[in-house]
Amino acid sequence: MIVVNNLTKVYKLSKKQMMEQRTKKNIKRAVNELSLTAKPGEIYGLLGPNGAGKTTALRCIATLLKPTQGDIKVCEFDTVKDSEKVRKKICFLTNEIKLDPQFSPKYMFNFFGKLHGQDDKTIQERREKLFNYFGIKEFEDKKIEELSTGMKQKASIAVSLVHDPDVVIFDEPTNGLDIVTARNVTDYLKLLKKEGKTVIISTHIMSEAEKLCDKIGIIINGNKVIDGSLEDILSSTHTEDLEDAFFELYKLHNKEEA
Amino acid sequence: MSAVKNILVKELTRVFTDKKLVFSLFVMPGLLIMIMYSLMGRLATNMVNDIEKNIPKVYIQNAPEGFDELVSSMGYEAEITPLVLSHNIEDIKADIKSGDVELLVVFEEGFLDKIGAYQNLGDEIPEVKTYYNTAEDYSVAAREKFLNMVLNTYQQQLLAERLGNIEQLQVFYIDKDPQSSIIVDEEKASAKPLSMLLPLLINIMLFSGAMGLGVDAITGEKERGTLSSMLISPIKRSDIVMGKLLSLGILSSLSAVIYTIFTMIGIQRLYGGFEGDADTAMGALGNISFTPIEMIQLLVLLLIVVYLYVSLISLVAVYARTAKEANTYVMPLMIVVMLGSIMTMFSGGTEKGIEYFAIPIYNSAVSLQNLFLGELTMTQFGLTVGTTAFLAAIITVLITKAFNSEKVMFNA
Ligand SMILES: Nc1ncnc2c1ncn2[C@@H]1O[C@H](COP(=O)(O)OP(=O)(O)OP(=O)(O)O)[C@@H](O)[C@H]1O
Ligand SMILES: [Mg+2]
Repeated sequence: MIVVNNLTKVYKLSKKQMMEQRTKKNIKRAVNELSLTAKPGEIYGLLGPNGAGKTTALRCIATLLKPTQGDIKVCEFDTVKDSEKVRKKICFLTNEIKLDPQFSPKYMFNFFGKLHGQDDKTIQERREKLFNYFGIKEFEDKKIEELSTGMKQKASIAVSLVHDPDVVIFDEPTNGLDIVTARNVTDYLKLLKKEGKTVIISTHIMSEAEKLCDKIGIIINGNKVIDGSLEDILSSTHTEDLEDAFFELYKLHNKEEA
Repeated sequence: MSAVKNILVKELTRVFTDKKLVFSLFVMPGLLIMIMYSLMGRLATNMVNDIEKNIPKVYIQNAPEGFDELVSSMGYEAEITPLVLSHNIEDIKADIKSGDVELLVVFEEGFLDKIGAYQNLGDEIPEVKTYYNTAEDYSVAAREKFLNMVLNTYQQQLLAERLGNIEQLQVFYIDKDPQSSIIVDEEKASAKPLSMLLPLLINIMLFSGAMGLGVDAITGEKERGTLSSMLISPIKRSDIVMGKLLSLGILSSLSAVIYTIFTMIGIQRLYGGFEGDADTAMGALGNISFTPIEMIQLLVLLLIVVYLYVSLISLVAVYARTAKEANTYVMPLMIVVMLGSIMTMFSGGTEKGIEYFAIPIYNSAVSLQNLFLGELTMTQFGLTVGTTAFLAAIITVLITKAFNSEKVMFNA
């Protein structure tokens, strides 16, 4: 269970960043008063254009960033006050967090298993299961730096799941994967959902969100402009599919902002 | 605690399974140090040999009668050109300046006559004037040899002629046998030069070992995005910091040991150039003998210094955004460390007030020095260890704070 309550995240910009973003303001409001609830046995999808604030929101949920305002509860634990307990419950996948390139997927899996306090036997069982599922067996002993982007992504996913977390936070999980592997990953997310886990993902891919997510939240410029089931969104925007709905909302809200 | 162990093991594995890293961290600097010292040794001996072999060009103006014979009988080897009194010596001076001629010796007009005519106080005393170039090693050597071998003897000879009995001049002797005059604790005496050098060497070795490693293990990991993978694990930030510091401490101690061994081999080569001295240099090392308590003191001192350096470097490394930035920030630190230990080289020997042992970095160098001289008191030792540990602990807290800061970790 994830409860985000009125989350605002403001980045302070350095002079250099201000120049790069061509702004005179020295702060960037990346997420603005965002509230959402993701329940166990449900996949929540965050949708939004580049720079909307998806990664920022997910990082806050994963305890890596502290909310500027508002608060977040994961499995009843506050992400600031009880961050260590939250980290026990979650796994977080995002493309800025990488596995050590000098080690093999197997070594990394064992290492993080131990960091999560698991015994060798459990680690081995989990490894067999996940490596088989994601087809990592063939390259489990190769150094990560020698793997392709997709292989790395698969290894990262498997390693992040080592401790069988209750809450799964995936930032663009199918990024860089071929269709077969991408399907592999989304199927696994469905499996996790069936097991009663709470899953929250971010994505740009409309078809993925349509097929996979029980609940979709669309963020534009840090603001959540709508959330609900696919049907809810389609009916309230009077559109046929998610892509049309997205464009409708984008036109409406991006104009407002400007 | 087991998290600390896991991280420690991983860090060590990371370094030791990377052949390139092992080579660039341990082998190459060691070899470089050794080669450098050997080269220095070779150059120094070459230079000495060269000067000895060189046959200087010497001009002697207005040489008195019989001087030529004296020069050759003393075995002074030189290409000697005699000059008459009327010769203009300016061109020879110019040659000395340009290094083409080593020495010009000018005897005053009527040299022997004036000596012969000397009777009473106030009578004229003639002069022998030498011209040479202090910027030219050959010239300096040629003059020195000329003074010692030729002129001194000549003076003695003339004195003997004047006085008949030259012993009249000798009121008493000082130390006819200088060797038997020296009463010294061999151990301390031979430890002295080494006690000057070793703290500096140890400090520099420890620091430079920790420098490369620390920047890679912290800033490098931050840059590569591998540090954050640990930050989302359910372990305390302080455990990550401890794991990192411990592994860095172990690795830099190891590299310091390796560097020191190579340095010793290099120094041996260096002294090896000056035949026979090699044994003295190594003998000096053997002569530094420690009591068990001193051994423990040495170990504690080294460990605490490693802890301080590793934490200092880590603090810089954690705040730096890129490895390049980190290296730039570490340089001033390195200079401070070097200054701290170089200062001990020049102030060596003088008794230092207890307050000096409360200055971090400097105190560890002084303590090491005193330890090698067998003069470290328990108070000095305690104060050094105490202040160093205190400072390192504060820095560790700061590092942990930085690990908790999203600004530092995620640039947010
Ligand atoms: N460390 C940072 N410092 C300053 N501003 C930042 C930082 N990280 C992100 N931002 C800004 O915050 C906003 C939201 O970024 P975020 O990464 O959350 O977007 P996103 O929705 O994940 O985009 P994408 O789809 O491209 O991944 C952007 O405008 C970005 O420039
Ligand atoms: Mg993103």
